[in-house]
Amino acid sequence: MATFSLLVTANPYSSQGQFSAIQFAKTLLEQGHQLMRVFFYADGVLVASRLHAPPADEINLTKAWAKLAIEKDIELVACVTAANKRGIVNAAEAERNALTGDNLDPAFAISGLGQLTEAMLESDRLITFG
Amino acid sequence: MNKSICIVFNKAPYGSQSGRELLDIALMAAAFDMPITAIFIDQGVYQLLKGQEPDILHIKNHSATFKALPLYGIEEVYVEQQAMQQFKLDIHQLLEIDGLQQATTDGIRAKIAQSDFVLTL
Repeated sequence: MATFSLLVTANPYSSQGQFSAIQFAKTLLEQGHQLMRVFFYADGVLVASRLHAPPADEINLTKAWAKLAIEKDIELVACVTAANKRGIVNAAEAERNALTGDNLDPAFAISGLGQLTEAMLESDRLITFG
Repeated sequence: MNKSICIVFNKAPYGSQSGRELLDIALMAAAFDMPITAIFIDQGVYQLLKGQEPDILHIKNHSATFKALPLYGIEEVYVEQQAMQQFKLDIHQLLEIDGLQQATTDGIRAKIAQSDFVLTL
């Protein structure tokens, strides 16, 4: 059994990468592996917004990640630099930048790139979904 | 011994954020004392071209940071020979980075195979 972390850079509704990452995460957990952290970077951070409203008959990727995180106790971390410049902010960042509101989904945390490095140091494998 | 990382730049600069965001990963991992190899293949060799002026496009210039790679302890920097030939580039047209070496595609393949982690964007 191995410890995995995922690096997700895929734009959520423009490409398949996010859904593939969710499927991969579920499967590796079913097979008894550990999932230490999912790190969102580049356009991948966009999925951390709680304001996505896809059509009712399509998957809501943010909710799919949140469900997995809650059920399996998985860390979902978005890079602060990548997130803030793409309009994904938590309450603290919204206040610091004098923005009118925040939009980070509560299942996600915002942190620095050090969390990605730490994930590599503590995992056997890092799989990128771009 | 810390785990090693290979960071592969394969896209030209400024058309996407890929180069800059990979560079940020490299610098952060270097701060954690992970052995890092930076590799430039395909159109990624253009990341190292001298004289970039993206400022006129209101894009931040990250070229200077490549020159600082050795300062961050990233001393293994390889540029793919075949890509240099394909784009008719000469090593003198590239940034002066201490330790910058040309490598064959096979040589690069071997470097990647030896690394614990391989990252590209």
